[in-house]
Amino acid sequence: MFFFNLTLGEFALLWSAVSGAALALYLLDRSRKKIKVATMRFWKPSERPPEAKHRKKIQQPWSLIMQILGMGLLLAAVAQLRLGSPDRSSRDHVLLLDTSAWMAAREGQRALIDEAKVNAIRWLRSLPNADRVMLVRADAMPTPATVFETNRQAVEMAILQTKPGASALHFQAALDFARRMQRQHGQSGGEVVFAGGTRGHALDMPNEAALPPTLRLLPVKEPARNVGIRRFNVRRQPQQAQRWEVFISVRNDGRAPETVPLMVTFGNAPIGSSVLKIAPGGEETARYEFETKAAGWMEARLQVRDGLAEDNRALIEIPEQKPVRVAVFTREPGLLQPLMKATPRINAQFAPPEAYKLDTDADIIVIDRFRPPAKPVRSALYIEPPADGAPLAVAKSGVASKMKAWRVEHPIAAGLRTLDLRLDRTTIFTSSPNVETVAEADNGVLIAASPAQPRAVYLGFHPGAQTLKFELAIPLLTANIFEWMAPEVLRRLEWNGESVGTVKTAIEPRTDTATIQVLDEQNQPLPFSTSDSTLQFYSGARGLVRVRTGSRETVHSLSLPEVGEAVWEPPARVRRGFGRASGSDSPIRELWPWLALFGAALLFAEWWMFGRLRLPTHGGVITPIDMLRRVVAPFRKAS
Amino acid sequence: MPEPLIDQKFLERLERLTLHWQKSFAGLVGGHNRSRFSGAGQEFLDHRGFFPGDDLRAINWRAFLRLEKLLLKLFQVEPRVPVRLLLDTSASMSTGSPSKFDYARKLTAALSYVGLVRLETVLLQPFAGTLHDPITCSGGRHRIRPAVEFLEGLEAGGRTDFLNAIKQFVAEYPQRGLVIVVSDFFDDHDCEKPLQYLADFGHEVFVVQLWSDDDRVPPHDGEIEIEDAETGQIVKLNFDEEARAAYVDAFDSYARALRELTFRKGGRYIGLSTATPVEQAIFGAFLEARSMQ
Repeated sequence: MFFFNLTLGEFALLWSAVSGAALALYLLDRSRKKIKVATMRFWKPSERPPEAKHRKKIQQPWSLIMQILGMGLLLAAVAQLRLGSPDRSSRDHVLLLDTSAWMAAREGQRALIDEAKVNAIRWLRSLPNADRVMLVRADAMPTPATVFETNRQAVEMAILQTKPGASALHFQAALDFARRMQRQHGQSGGEVVFAGGTRGHALDMPNEAALPPTLRLLPVKEPARNVGIRRFNVRRQPQQAQRWEVFISVRNDGRAPETVPLMVTFGNAPIGSSVLKIAPGGEETARYEFETKAAGWMEARLQVRDGLAEDNRALIEIPEQKPVRVAVFTREPGLLQPLMKATPRINAQFAPPEAYKLDTDADIIVIDRFRPPAKPVRSALYIEPPADGAPLAVAKSGVASKMKAWRVEHPIAAGLRTLDLRLDRTTIFTSSPNVETVAEADNGVLIAASPAQPRAVYLGFHPGAQTLKFELAIPLLTANIFEWMAPEVLRRLEWNGESVGTVKTAIEPRTDTATIQVLDEQNQPLPFSTSDSTLQFYSGARGLVRVRTGSRETVHSLSLPEVGEAVWEPPARVRRGFGRASGSDSPIRELWPWLALFGAALLFAEWWMFGRLRLPTHGGVITPIDMLRRVVAPFRKAS
Repeated sequence: MPEPLIDQKFLERLERLTLHWQKSFAGLVGGHNRSRFSGAGQEFLDHRGFFPGDDLRAINWRAFLRLEKLLLKLFQVEPRVPVRLLLDTSASMSTGSPSKFDYARKLTAALSYVGLVRLETVLLQPFAGTLHDPITCSGGRHRIRPAVEFLEGLEAGGRTDFLNAIKQFVAEYPQRGLVIVVSDFFDDHDCEKPLQYLADFGHEVFVVQLWSDDDRVPPHDGEIEIEDAETGQIVKLNFDEEARAAYVDAFDSYARALRELTFRKGGRYIGLSTATPVEQAIFGAFLEARSMQ
């Protein structure tokens, strides 16, 4: 038996003070009243003989005893007297419920998460009522589902509402979090209970030397075999716009070798299949190629029945690959045709300058050495615009020039270094604040670009001229110009089917981090880090994440569950199962309601037996009106 | 800051009242007796020569026209009926809640003001075992301030000796007049004899008996220890409903006897509980007793 709110000393002190006050009031109440009067003339004692009283003696001991006992019982109720052992008073436990993707696996008819929930609830119901429990959902990032609380129904409800996530278990982080919570919020340390599987990444396994001494495991029976797709990568071949490469990586998490058939389909049409033989803990890859220009769903499926069905299928949506439509208005199409064909994703249509229309249906318009009757409303490439009516002021026309400098910071000049370019006939532009200089000749601006929409590029020479036919810089320059004018269409795309969690992707070396964008499905930026040629980001939820680095975009379809490759074997000293908690053989019983009831009853009995006699009576009988008068008397006086 | 004895609003209400007495005092005017002369009630006595500083209004201008000398008219003030207020300041007056002494001082101040408004000469005479230092006020309502300050300076204390005080009073003030006695009349000796003595001497006696509710109906029960406020005597007794009834009966009998004696001697009697506000007492009990009009 112990007090929850007070120590025994505090209780004794308080009860002594209350008892002393009661005794003093008792003696005061029963002492003779001293009254100062104006005259003795009218005072006559009562004819009734006074009761023989000894003032310093307690005349009604039972009244005093009942008062002191009643107040003691009420005080004990306030102090929350409990039946049981004080070391079982109130402990704070952290229940770690495994919500990793692995918990969706099934062993028999039941999912691992369901078994973990049953174990957790069974452990919860075995706790004393006063113990507080915090439920933490543990996957890659531990998340508290409840605060420390004694309301078992709330904790059970939170357990039942728990679902497996998509990431792998970070066991060490979960244990660290549990201990931190116990230190910060807990009054007295309880157990750290882990309910679930122990599968995770090898680096995330707990350090056995630093395990919490109060760790208890409620393990689940894990499936013996599981084979799953771990990576699904689709990318377009650089040389052929309609040819795709598919890479699939499959791992065997079981304890026995597996032979699993793998089938890849695009729009329900099979594009490849193989049978993979995978050793326990091993990983095999498969590579396929196929051609398509249509949009559709690409699916990789393992034909196997194992513990976790979610990782047997991966799905990627491939959008339609649209070419860039270029309308070329020229009198000499033969000069530009080789350049247009050099870029596979460009679809060029040639027409004479007379066919030029303002509403030409194309993404880019090429205006070759003539003055259009109206300024185009789409992005345009001007080749040697005539001085008369040129959109950009021409300084000189028809002069020989030598390339002096490339503005390499401009995207159009990216990768261009050649300076020994001699041009027999060039148009030199006047620099303007509205245009950016891309290349300079020894006598002025040779290539300029206008970034305002619609974009425009001004070439002071013809790229298909005979003298430039064998220059390596010209196709690259043309590709850069089209990429700068239609970046969305010409972006190089790559799709990766992966699991949630930490994702690493390769980027080009020395990529400016300011140009990198990592966006989720809502186009909201995600934090990322880069080191050398690797970009790393974390996403805890399924969905699409786009990584844009310059002209390249990698789409990460985080749809695969993240299953750890390692299984932690806990040391023998870690407690397992539902063993009885220390001191739980003496369950605590709350006594305060009974104490409060008895205390109040005792005080009422004292008043009934002794106090009511002091009320003014009508013929010796106490009426309810007398009692009411007594109650309302102070209020009437005050008013 | 202590509460003032009497406030301006109450004084304004008192303006219309007049102290009233029944007896006719030979050779004296004032109060409800009409004067034979108009004006301030002054009678021409003589002339004397004018000296700088004399009141110019009293110059006899007709005589100046005839004699070319400034002559001043002299008037004789007629003797008026003196109004004397005997205020009990014994220790017994300090008991009760509210204090009878405070109540008596307020009442005395109000009665003084009524007298001063009607140009009476008012004597305030505190007493307990003997007469204490008095104050005489006259000359109109503006002289109430010294009276109030005098009353505020009084303190209750000492034993009551009515007979001795009345004897001393009669010896000191031989001129008959209206005597208003404000007291609780709690004297261990008989109070009837002194009052009778006062009336027989020719004064018109106006008795104002004060008591607090506790004085009349003690609320105490059981065994109590009572202490006399004046003598310090302590008595232990058992007090119950029957004793209380006997107490009230004795108190009422005493008040009744005091009242009958006063009436028998041609005076008037007012018994007041301190629970009654002073204003309500003046415009209630005092008007009903025809002590004012």
